[in-house]
Amino acid sequence: MTTPEHLVIDDRDRGLFRVHRSAFTSEEIFKREQEEIFSKCWLYVGHESEIPNPNDFHTRRVGGRTVIYTRDKKGDVRVLLNSCRHRGAEVCRERRGNRKVFTCFYHGWAYNNEGKLVSVPDGDSYSPGFDREEHGLHKPRTESYRGFTYVTYSADAPSLESYLADARYLIDLVADQSETGMQIVRGIHNYSMRANWKLLMENSCDGYHGFTVHQTYFEMMMNLGVTPGLAADMGNGSGRELGNGHAVAESPELGMPLMSEEILAATSGRRADTVARLGENHTKKMLNTTRNLILFPNMALIDLNFGIQVRTMFPTAPDRTEITGWQLMPKDAPDALKPYRIDNALTFWGPAGLATPDDVEGLEQCQRGFTSMREIEWSDISRGMEADAPTAVDELQMRAFWRQWNQRVTGEKARTEGPRYDTSYLDGATDDAELQASTSGVTL
Amino acid sequence: MTSALQISELTRADIEEFLYSEAALLDEWRLEEWLDLFTIDCLYEIPAPDLPDEDPGETFSLIHDHRAMLEQRVIRLKKPTAHAEFPHSRTRRLVTNVRILDKRSDEIKVGANFAVYRMRNGIEVTYVGRYEYVLIPSSDGLKIRHRKAILDQEVLDPHGKISIIL
Repeated sequence: MTTPEHLVIDDRDRGLFRVHRSAFTSEEIFKREQEEIFSKCWLYVGHESEIPNPNDFHTRRVGGRTVIYTRDKKGDVRVLLNSCRHRGAEVCRERRGNRKVFTCFYHGWAYNNEGKLVSVPDGDSYSPGFDREEHGLHKPRTESYRGFTYVTYSADAPSLESYLADARYLIDLVADQSETGMQIVRGIHNYSMRANWKLLMENSCDGYHGFTVHQTYFEMMMNLGVTPGLAADMGNGSGRELGNGHAVAESPELGMPLMSEEILAATSGRRADTVARLGENHTKKMLNTTRNLILFPNMALIDLNFGIQVRTMFPTAPDRTEITGWQLMPKDAPDALKPYRIDNALTFWGPAGLATPDDVEGLEQCQRGFTSMREIEWSDISRGMEADAPTAVDELQMRAFWRQWNQRVTGEKARTEGPRYDTSYLDGATDDAELQASTSGVTL
Repeated sequence: MTSALQISELTRADIEEFLYSEAALLDEWRLEEWLDLFTIDCLYEIPAPDLPDEDPGETFSLIHDHRAMLEQRVIRLKKPTAHAEFPHSRTRRLVTNVRILDKRSDEIKVGANFAVYRMRNGIEVTYVGRYEYVLIPSSDGLKIRHRKAILDQEVLDPHGKISIIL
């Protein structure tokens, strides 16, 4: 297999978009991604609600490095590389907990949770040239936006806010759902798939696969007396670029499985409070629109109204991906709503849910199909390429991701496509017709 | 099992017989018959892999199915459009270390260990963990009121698709 001249073909004249399948299979490209993407972009680490108290911590792997995500004793959120400055061993071997000091068990070097080296056994044996100040735990650049914490291993990356570009509006639509803040539910789904990570990024904002892959999920909803929004002829939503490779697919609400009178009352009550706080248009956008947001390179934030999934996917090989799924909910959600949202979330998104295993199956089947790459070199992502108002069942979202990927990996400049994300819901406009138009994908 | 099932007279051998029969139904994909083993007020659950001791209804767990969703899970799994299980995996369940944990007037608590082997697409995955059951007697033999599968795997790698019944 020779390397093709281009990995991404963005043919505006013919309205065709193709990705070379070596992007999913090549060891060389996998290594280039580690360098150009996972060592340079802002990467999601965790949500501040996971470490509510001073000295709380989680250890996790972010961009191949193991890190400690902690709140130090003063209350500041920090990310520390989990590697002793002496010989490299992980200084923290627990997955989570509450600690002021991380002591490397190998030779006993100890660090406080600001990363400072505070103890070296038999330290007098070091020469005066050995400076403890220079041997703290490494602190990658860390910034949070609305409670979501990111790191970058690059000194040259722009600020997180500028990196997130228009995706900030979509994060706000999640973060503003509660005046008391959002909360990650305890319990983390760590699972893997035998497929390239980018297939899951595509899948995370792919409206086109809904009915084919998740037919049995929709049938379950209908069996339980719920008509899915997609089946109720409510339109096909919209697909929008958000800048820097971030993109969103928005659709009319999916419907609420497992609904009961009690849940209905709690949901309506919460909606009425939100209308009072933010107005009808803003509320409709926030609580009655599903939003599949992808954040370049490897995060998805998916709000299906009955739950909010936070997901990262890191490659460990061209055909292997480590996936983490968290569930986010308003801290002040009524008690009745909490177990209801959890049940719906794990029934849809869990690795043992009624939907996610079929997604993973689809992506693993793609990866198996790539064995024919010599004969079938290109994957097609052209859907809706000439549309004035691309819908959620078009593929603009994926093209936005791929153009950014291509720019990072090959240096070919990413071009934009389609209208910018419409934020008129923030204007306090109350015209229903106008809102209808914005959610069905017409640019105003 | 006789219709006049007395909890006080149940032995471990009776429980083992029940669990082995249940495992056979699952391995043979006789899921509707398996569903018939459950009570109307049943619960089938798998805790979050990182919180095995916590309530699957209060945490982001793996499965928390009351009867309605359990029925839907079974209906789904028998369809060719349940893509993750088409064609069906082959499974082989080893259920061991069966213990009667508690006997009450109307129910019996049982613990057991499991290894569930799943073979599909030339890939073999083994799920390891333990079961907790609450069984109740009925005119139709024992019924499952509560079935909890607690995984020892904390990271589901390479176990990422739990599309079978564990």
